[in-house]
Amino acid sequence: MEIEVRGLTKAFGQVTAVRDVSFTVPEGKVTGFLGPNGSGKTTTLRMVLGLVRPTAGQALIGGVPYDRLARPRRCVGALLEATGFHPGRRARDHLRVLAAAGGIPDGRVAEVLSQVQLTRDAGRRVREFSLGMRQRLGIAAALLGDPQVLLLDEPANGLDPAGAAWLRALLRTKASEGRTVLVASHVLSEIAQTVDHVVIVSAGQLRFAGPLSEIGDTNAALESAFLNLTATSR
Amino acid sequence: MTAPENHMLPMIRSEFRKIATVRSPWLLLAAGPLIVVAGITGLIESGGNVHDPALQGKAFAHVGLAAICTLIFGILAVAGEYRHATITDTYLSSPRRHRVVTAKLAVYGLTGAAAGLVSSAVAIAVTAAWWSAKGGVFHLSATGAWATLGGGVAANLAFAAIGVGIGALIRNPVAAIAAALAWIALVEGIAGQLVGAGLARWLPFYASESLDRASLTATTRLLPQWGGGLVLLGYAGAFAAAALVSTLRRDVT
Repeated sequence: MEIEVRGLTKAFGQVTAVRDVSFTVPEGKVTGFLGPNGSGKTTTLRMVLGLVRPTAGQALIGGVPYDRLARPRRCVGALLEATGFHPGRRARDHLRVLAAAGGIPDGRVAEVLSQVQLTRDAGRRVREFSLGMRQRLGIAAALLGDPQVLLLDEPANGLDPAGAAWLRALLRTKASEGRTVLVASHVLSEIAQTVDHVVIVSAGQLRFAGPLSEIGDTNAALESAFLNLTATSR
Repeated sequence: MTAPENHMLPMIRSEFRKIATVRSPWLLLAAGPLIVVAGITGLIESGGNVHDPALQGKAFAHVGLAAICTLIFGILAVAGEYRHATITDTYLSSPRRHRVVTAKLAVYGLTGAAAGLVSSAVAIAVTAAWWSAKGGVFHLSATGAWATLGGGVAANLAFAAIGVGIGALIRNPVAAIAAALAWIALVEGIAGQLVGAGLARWLPFYASESLDRASLTATTRLLPQWGGGLVLLGYAGAFAAAALVSTLRRDVT
């Protein structure tokens, strides 16, 4: 299932957050979605997920808009920065609520908890969780429906180095299984080690979309390309 | 081809799980029966005469008063999700948002009615206890007893549904609850005086009063019980429609 973004534009009043952005996120690869803070990454992701209504253009997942997917949670797993938890709800219950809504068997809850190494903390209320544990719980929620498409916004936030390494391995595994993986980040060093493909946006406009090899696959090469591509707009 | 799926059932199950897995709804719903106990006890302590046949109806009418708890319970259905930013996950599970609102109306309405039934049982028990303590004759077959309790349950259901609508319109829970309580405590009373009794009885809390005071002697100040029920149903429908319209297109950022 490819993600296809066609001419997406979003204006919030006078401010155009995203302007005529088009790109494709291929299957079987990890695609990095890069841009400085405030460049329109999150707004673009939210339009792909049907949370924000585009002013123009459309986003398709496997050829259909998100809100036309028959079982959205089983097709697309998403982790967004502003995704919240009820502080008084236990981690296991948080996932059971989502499993019910997604028509996903309850057995998956224990599986994903073990996958993100939260089994021992499953009975604790989320208010007791550290930032890293919340992030793991959010990733567990994204994995719950065993989706073909993963869409993660700054997934390494709050993870320690071991957690970040675990996350990179997870993303590589998912891509090698033929799934579509899109990871938004502003931390370049995280991305250079993990992605095959990059989409770079700045000031709401597309600057580059293509294989990482076209830019150069060292950290330094990516950094200078990133700075060049995003500087022209300012 | 797979069999057609029921799209509402997963959302309804998920909403019940949301309610069951945090403490605040339980505390809120437990406050309803407490209001009933305190209200009926207050009625007796302030010198109510258990030999007055009208007093039993007044005692039962407290079930309708407990609807203030199901109103706040309903407000938190949508506004609470915005407060904790869980609404994002809810809409990711069901991007067809009308299903979310419909499931919440059904689940919160049913739970509100169940809370009203508990309040009714508590009202019967507490009234029976006080009547026997004070040497009165308590009987459930008294004129209007069941109608008053039934009206009270209906008010608990209707206000939960109205709350869902208010919370979807005003997504800040503190502001939504403050607005609802201000309406109850101040605005409706003043508005009622401004428009006169003939029109005031069509306002939501006047309507609910007629709903749970069926045993009182007929008065032109209030609508008949069935009329109050219909008016409240109309308000619930209007708020539900407003909730749907305002929810469907709004960006979640």
